[in-house]
Amino acid sequence: MVSIMPACVTVRRLLTSFFLVFVTVQSVQADAFHVENAHTSPAGNGYLLNAQISYPLNPRVKEALYNGVPITFVQEIQLIRIYPVLGEWWQWRSNIWSTELRYVLRYHDLSQQYLLHSMETKTHRNFPTMEGALQAMGEIEDFSLPPQHTLDTHDLILRLRSQIDLHALPSPMRPGAFLSNKWDLASEWREVAWPSN
Amino acid sequence: MAFQLIRGLSSGTAPYFSLALLLLVLAYLLSAATQDTSRLNDLFLYIFGLGFICLLLLAGILARGLFRLYRDFKRKAPGSRLTLKLVSLFVLLIVGSTSIVYGFSVHFLQRGINSWFDVKVEQALEDSLELSRNAFGIRMRTLLRQTRMMAGVLSELPDSRLTNSLRELVQLSGALDISIWNMNGQLVISSIENPAIFIPTAPDESIVRRLQQGEDYIGLDPGPNEELQLRAVVMLPRQSILAEERFLHVAFPVNEHLSSLGKNVQDAFTDYKELSYLRKPLVTIFTLTLSLIVFLTMLASIWFAVWISRRMVQPLQELAAGTQAVASGNYNTQLTASGHDEIGFLVRSFNQMTQRLTQARNASDRSHRLLEQQTSYLTTVLGSLSSGVITIDNDLYLRTANVASSKILGVNLQQRLESSVDTLAKLNENLHSFALLIQNYTYKPVGWQQQIELQQAKGRQTLMCHGTPLPGETGWVIVFDDITTLLQAQRNAAWGEVARRLAHEIKNPLTPIQLSAERLQHKYSSLVPPDQTETLQKLTDTIVQQVEAMKDMVNEFSDYARSPGLQLESVSIGDLLREVLTLYQSHANHQFTLLNSPTEIFIKADKNRMRQVFHNLLKNAIEASEEADMPVDIVIRYQRLLQQHMPWLEIVIEDHGPGFPPDMGDKLFEPYATTKIKGTGLGLAIVKKIIEEHGGNVWAENLNPEGAGIIIRLPLEEDEA
Repeated sequence: MVSIMPACVTVRRLLTSFFLVFVTVQSVQADAFHVENAHTSPAGNGYLLNAQISYPLNPRVKEALYNGVPITFVQEIQLIRIYPVLGEWWQWRSNIWSTELRYVLRYHDLSQQYLLHSMETKTHRNFPTMEGALQAMGEIEDFSLPPQHTLDTHDLILRLRSQIDLHALPSPMRPGAFLSNKWDLASEWREVAWPSN
Repeated sequence: MAFQLIRGLSSGTAPYFSLALLLLVLAYLLSAATQDTSRLNDLFLYIFGLGFICLLLLAGILARGLFRLYRDFKRKAPGSRLTLKLVSLFVLLIVGSTSIVYGFSVHFLQRGINSWFDVKVEQALEDSLELSRNAFGIRMRTLLRQTRMMAGVLSELPDSRLTNSLRELVQLSGALDISIWNMNGQLVISSIENPAIFIPTAPDESIVRRLQQGEDYIGLDPGPNEELQLRAVVMLPRQSILAEERFLHVAFPVNEHLSSLGKNVQDAFTDYKELSYLRKPLVTIFTLTLSLIVFLTMLASIWFAVWISRRMVQPLQELAAGTQAVASGNYNTQLTASGHDEIGFLVRSFNQMTQRLTQARNASDRSHRLLEQQTSYLTTVLGSLSSGVITIDNDLYLRTANVASSKILGVNLQQRLESSVDTLAKLNENLHSFALLIQNYTYKPVGWQQQIELQQAKGRQTLMCHGTPLPGETGWVIVFDDITTLLQAQRNAAWGEVARRLAHEIKNPLTPIQLSAERLQHKYSSLVPPDQTETLQKLTDTIVQQVEAMKDMVNEFSDYARSPGLQLESVSIGDLLREVLTLYQSHANHQFTLLNSPTEIFIKADKNRMRQVFHNLLKNAIEASEEADMPVDIVIRYQRLLQQHMPWLEIVIEDHGPGFPPDMGDKLFEPYATTKIKGTGLGLAIVKKIIEEHGGNVWAENLNPEGAGIIIRLPLEEDEA
């Protein structure tokens, strides 16, 4: 989980901006997921994360959902420690902690309900509307960050994003989903600021 | 780089087999990756991509192979036509069969997958779903009424009694839990049948919003294990406007049997829908996989076809090249035999054939050389023969002629080979006679021998011809010898013998006759009357005189016949001629001119005999001129000359007399061949005899306009030159 980023900042920023432009273009086309707002708040000796992620689903995904295909959503949260080796020019980024929150959304024809299953908490919730289900899923409320890693928030990055887990799709759909931008709805990484003391 | 890879891959045997193996592995991986349970499933795209790269690579290799084939065909390289034919056949077979299999496979694939689905089944499932909903609907309406009644009851109770009332209601209604919430989503109070749960799940915001709009909610609610329950949410009627707005939330259990039936219907419906939805991508993936494998197989097969065709045609190509080499005369061509099939057999046969050809050619070369040797041997032998040898074919065309034949006939026959005898006959009179002889005797294949007289410039020439038919009646060989000299020698020998005997037989009685005549005169002159004495004297004188003359004649004869051994010594021919001429210069009217050679010439000769030769010749010339009343003007010259690579001394004595009568010609040098009044007719015969004794030659020529020349040729030795 250790990655070395040997890059001078300008080059890196240039590449990043290119990448961002590319991703943005794609995101605009596909109406991707988006981290609407995210903030942390101190709680005890640790921090709590609160965030809202919007999940605009396109007709392709909805079609699959209505046709009985369960859709798995992943919310990734990472803590990255930055070790400046040569100031800003050479940074050593180390992923010190990460977690994935997985939700499976499916449509229940008989009850005409949307079933949301959280893989972490093993809880089920039913929603009469898709929007309700998506909203409930997109709400990260008081997610407790591991206190042992957040003792020093200087040079520590907290970031999150969400996407559809394409590997969880039925196999016949996977090649098409991997190649299609209709399924590439991943949000950008959103860096969350630490509360100022 | 890609081109280099293609070039590297399309040469040699190993890439073919490694590719075949790779394709097999790839096909297996692809088929495995399309299975739902396989771990390779996620790698499908990568495997497919690899397959596609392989396809491109194969296409490149194949394109190169086909291009090379086309180029060879354009250049008309040996074997390219056959290769192209084979490849076309293979390609036709491969493409034809694979296309049929591919078409049917795709068709069956689509039909097979589509046959899982049926409109009737789909309708039935939808109907059963609807039925289930309706079945639950009746119960839901009942429960909704029940819940509303509960709400009516509860709304009238004060908060303090709510807890007990809820518990009672739970027990009465058989609900799972009953809870009261305010509009902010906060739980007011609850009663739960299930002891494991303390807090009931909050109703969704959308339900709350519906309640605010005055709509009650009743719905099926699948639990964590998809067991069904019914949830009803209704507003609690408010007692006063100021009172807090609340709603009642009741969860009812569903009959276990009904729940399981509902679950079954739901599962079946969902599965069917999902399958139906996945049908299209499934068909696409299977078709793609099948297409990739089919195309890979097809390209690989065609590549293999090109390769195998080249391999098959290669020995034939070599054979063709070998045959061309043999046709152009290179018999050493040996091909590398390959395989034990018919082509290998053909190659081995070819090698045997070229070996035999080489052996045969060597044998033929040897015999040819032998023949050449024999021919040159024969030519040398024939060339050094003094006899003339010619061969003619059955059509009387001259085939061969040796040097001697040309010399004898006086015509260069070697330059006239392949010309007919008739053509040769037109060259001169002698050849005409010769040709006539040949024509007369060659009509039947029997050997013959004939003597022929020819008129040559040097005089009469006698040839002895032998004709022998060649083996196989392919022509004639005619051998002829110049026997003029031989005949002359025979004649001379005969004359010599006659002269010797004559001299002997006549000379013996001459002396007694002479003695008797002298005695008769001496004894009987006194006895006869005086008038008769004179007569006696006259008669006896006549006898003595005539006997004397006869004696001279006989002596001359004996001189001619006598052939004493030659006393050879080195003589300067100039000195000898000058010495002889001094004897004749006393006569005032006689003119002699000696043209000296620039160098002195020495010759091995008998001085006395040679002197006699010159005396005879000079006397002859003087007498001839005097008899014709012509001035005696004699020119003598001598010189050295080369004839047939041999040095000769030529002496020419010319007079300005009347010349020889033309009819004398060849008989001039025979005894008693004289035109003169005086003389025995032996002079020139003796000259010829002496010259021939010296190995020389003498002949006479008439000069133009008048006069005669005697030409003597004597052989010189090399060191005398």
